[in-house]
Amino acid sequence: MKTKVLMAILAVVIAGLIAVPWIASYFYVFIFTEILILGLFAASFNLIFGYTGMLSFGHAAFFGIGAYATALVLIHLEWPFLVCLLVSMGASALLALMIGFLSVRLNEVYFAMLTLAFGMMVFAIAYQWRSVTNGSDGLAGFTLGSFGLGLDLTLANPSVYYHVVLGIVAIAAIVLYLICRSSFGMILKAIRQNPERVSFAGLNVRTYRLVAFVIAGTFAGLAGGLIAPFLRVASPELLHWSMSAEPILMAILGGTGFFLGPFIGSAAFVLLETWITTYTESWMLVLGIILAMMVIFFRKGLLGTAIDWWMEVKK
Amino acid sequence: MKSISIKKLMVAMTATATLGTAGISYADDPIRIGGLYILSGSAATYGEFAQKGIDLAVDEINGSGGILGRQVEMVYEDTQGKASVAIQAARKLVYSEGVDALVGLDSSGVAQGMVPTMPELQKPLIITHAATPDVTGKLCNSFTYRISVNVAQNMKAAALVAAETDATNWTTIGPDYAFGHQSWEFFGNYLKEINPDVNLMSETNFPRFGAEDFTPFIDRVMDSDAEGVLISVWGGDLVNFVRQANTRGFFEKDLEVMFTVGAATEVLTALGEEMPEGVHLSTRYWYEAYDNDINDRFVKAYLDAYGNPPSYNAEGAYAAMYAYKQAMEAAGSTEGPAVAKALSGMSMEAPNGTVTFRKGDNQAMVSPNWGVSGPMHPEHGIRTLNNLQIFDGEKVARTVEETGCKL
Repeated sequence: MKTKVLMAILAVVIAGLIAVPWIASYFYVFIFTEILILGLFAASFNLIFGYTGMLSFGHAAFFGIGAYATALVLIHLEWPFLVCLLVSMGASALLALMIGFLSVRLNEVYFAMLTLAFGMMVFAIAYQWRSVTNGSDGLAGFTLGSFGLGLDLTLANPSVYYHVVLGIVAIAAIVLYLICRSSFGMILKAIRQNPERVSFAGLNVRTYRLVAFVIAGTFAGLAGGLIAPFLRVASPELLHWSMSAEPILMAILGGTGFFLGPFIGSAAFVLLETWITTYTESWMLVLGIILAMMVIFFRKGLLGTAIDWWMEVKK
Repeated sequence: MKSISIKKLMVAMTATATLGTAGISYADDPIRIGGLYILSGSAATYGEFAQKGIDLAVDEINGSGGILGRQVEMVYEDTQGKASVAIQAARKLVYSEGVDALVGLDSSGVAQGMVPTMPELQKPLIITHAATPDVTGKLCNSFTYRISVNVAQNMKAAALVAAETDATNWTTIGPDYAFGHQSWEFFGNYLKEINPDVNLMSETNFPRFGAEDFTPFIDRVMDSDAEGVLISVWGGDLVNFVRQANTRGFFEKDLEVMFTVGAATEVLTALGEEMPEGVHLSTRYWYEAYDNDINDRFVKAYLDAYGNPPSYNAEGAYAAMYAYKQAMEAAGSTEGPAVAKALSGMSMEAPNGTVTFRKGDNQAMVSPNWGVSGPMHPEHGIRTLNNLQIFDGEKVARTVEETGCKL
């Protein structure tokens, strides 16, 4: 019975998301596009944070390089959009392999500091290599061409772009979910709980951590490849450490222990920001208060708290 | 499976919650105009001054019957000086707040990112401050207009001023983004044209926008054999820069110092006597430079309301509101494409004289002002400008062909 109810809710939610351009005010097409993209970014981060227990402060490096890769390809080569996304994923996977190789050998605060340092190095390169990245102004003024696969889609139309993002994020989320549910995902969870024990079981913890890091980076790159055409600019802010903080906040806000937690966190983050900035410019103050409350009183995040409550009531 | 579905429920709840805020009516509501300015951080005074200019214009317009018989209402968003933030803010203003037109933009970097998206929004934008030549050049489009002086116009004027001095070795200190780099590029090209003997030093200085500490750059210029220095640092940065330069003895050195936006009254008010005498200062509008009724009225109203003289940013924002009034009344509607079309080639009377949006690139032919800082003004608490030069906006502008704009 419970499963049936939940499946029905799931179907309604998916239908609702598909119908956003027709049922919500036009502005929310942009809001939901942003929620989906940042949700994927946060979900990719949660693979290493919530599942594997590695707190990275440099995840924006992969998000940003994905954005720059798509922007550069659109400006100089004008390849189809799907190919841009593949380039973004390839570029971020390569970068994640390099940074991960040097970082995963360390634990806890040392890992966090190292990823922060590498993230800032990538930021500095984007900021200073003016001839390629256009420095602090970032890359702008690119046009969206064809989608690829012979599909005739007008990507510059925000509703069309929203549906494209919805489709791609849904596929990416399913793949990430399958990874989390696989035996590989189980080992990651075990590493978070007790790395020594996993090690004694004969598994190479470092390799597992590296693979998780690269997968997370690749999906962050995909999210970055989606954000550049949406924002119409790939700027160094996308690579800045403060951008690395966003998936952390979103994951904690939504609930790190659940696969869809980061998506809920992203929705809460973006919607609150939109609504609060209408009334006051001090949105960060409000966010800070909410986060402090979450960590003190609702450590499982919005989703975890909601599920606990539902389980209590629905007994 | 169970847990996933509940999470989806949360998405559904948020989705339904958003529906409540949808829906905008048009009928006989006020005309809404969206303002996009920097309202936080080290350059926030520029946004504040623009708001003051706009408030003044809106009060006057509403007091005399509004536009097309409708009142005018402003909605502001903070761009934070970032292109991505500004683009999102513009979408919010157009699609959520239902604004009919947009004014604003303080930063060249923001303008470069945002202007290419204007045709999608189908609403006119009048830029009142951002100066990059590109937005009325290679990135131009039929929805984007600029009522303020651009870098090309101001640097042509700067080169004419620089050519009058004895300095041959020139360098620059400018913010590390489009504005700083393009100021130096255009200045250098024009100066070389006028006087091929000048030496543009390869050692240039581009501190980060919003950098607190400028002393390494100040020291570097003082240690070099530069004889002239073009400084395009602006806003709160410029205030910090001048204070630090004073303590280093920068202004005692035998240098020709040219501040490309140094006569912004925001900066002069903040600095008072700390702004040295005898340096070249420029602004896109100097409140004492224009002898006409509109300017007299504007300056008096501004002084009465706020107690300090209007800056170029206040003047640009003020004039932009009247530009919309005239264009909407000429078009007989507030429809974006119709208003944008009415702006093309339009001439209007503004505090800085007759302003015309050139048909070929939508750049207003307005005049850069250059002068040399003099004694303190007895009432206004800021430096006065001596040897004031008002350059002809059209003569210092690039030709339409040179801009690369194709409309």
